[in-house]
Amino acid sequence: MIRISQKYLVAVAGIGALMLSQPAYADGDVKCNAGPAKNWKPVSKLKKQAWMEGWELLKVQIEGDCYEVYARTESGQAIEAFFHPVTLKKLVVYRRGTEIYRAPGFGG
Amino acid sequence: MNPAVVKALAWMLLAVPGLWMLWSFSQGEVLAMDMLHPSGEMSIRLMILAMLPGPLSDFFGSNRFFRAWLAIRRNLGVAAFGYALLHLAFYILDMRSVAAMLDELGLPGIWTGWLALALMIPPAAISFNLAMRRLGRNWKKVQRLVYLALIIGLVHWVLLDWAWQPALVHLAPLMIAWILRLIGRGRRNRRQRSMA
Repeated sequence: MIRISQKYLVAVAGIGALMLSQPAYADGDVKCNAGPAKNWKPVSKLKKQAWMEGWELLKVQIEGDCYEVYARTESGQAIEAFFHPVTLKKLVVYRRGTEIYRAPGFGG
Repeated sequence: MNPAVVKALAWMLLAVPGLWMLWSFSQGEVLAMDMLHPSGEMSIRLMILAMLPGPLSDFFGSNRFFRAWLAIRRNLGVAAFGYALLHLAFYILDMRSVAAMLDELGLPGIWTGWLALALMIPPAAISFNLAMRRLGRNWKKVQRLVYLALIIGLVHWVLLDWAWQPALVHLAPLMIAWILRLIGRGRRNRRQRSMA
């Protein structure tokens, strides 16, 4: 009896370890390599940038070293876009977790 | 304590986070979008709380703590469905138009959410005494849809956030409880065999 339950315990520990060792490949982990925050462009400039895209802005926040914009497009799509804080370049756009845009050459 | 009092207290406690979410939203302190994560997470947590006492009391044996937990298990399940509906309500408020909702229905992060919600409807719809009596053994079978709803709900979460850890942290206690139940069953079978 003890032998069997130990076997199960090992299995549990194994599954647990396997699960925890999974890499977190996350859109929350977009890396912009933006450098020190003192060089970042102000959020007002970012808002203008998003406005030029024709989006309705819902929320702007700093996510890691990126600017993150929650917005609605002209066609009513709910999107989540990451901008480089220094160049204000649009790097990657997600729609409900599905990537719909990635700037050419951006791998972060 | 009187069971009716316990139930009433449980309902009040279960409603507090939802009322707080609705209150903050009505005051304009938060966007509907901001309430999607907390309402969905609450639904998942309550589902797990409803699914834990069965296997745990199987393994550890019945005691007052597990009996009390089992007694409110159905309330926890119905509350999980309630938070799923609240989650949907915030989604509708966020999307604003049916056309926009239909437009993104095909995205994996979205249809998994609808599917998980749909799977919760039958178990929630028969969560009252009369249905339990009428359905007998079938009642349990329908309730098992919750397993599927939970797994698909967690997939929905991962597809939206692309972060594994939170979903796995929520699944872990259940995995442990299920494995304990398996161990318990194995033990009981052996005991019965040795008695025969």
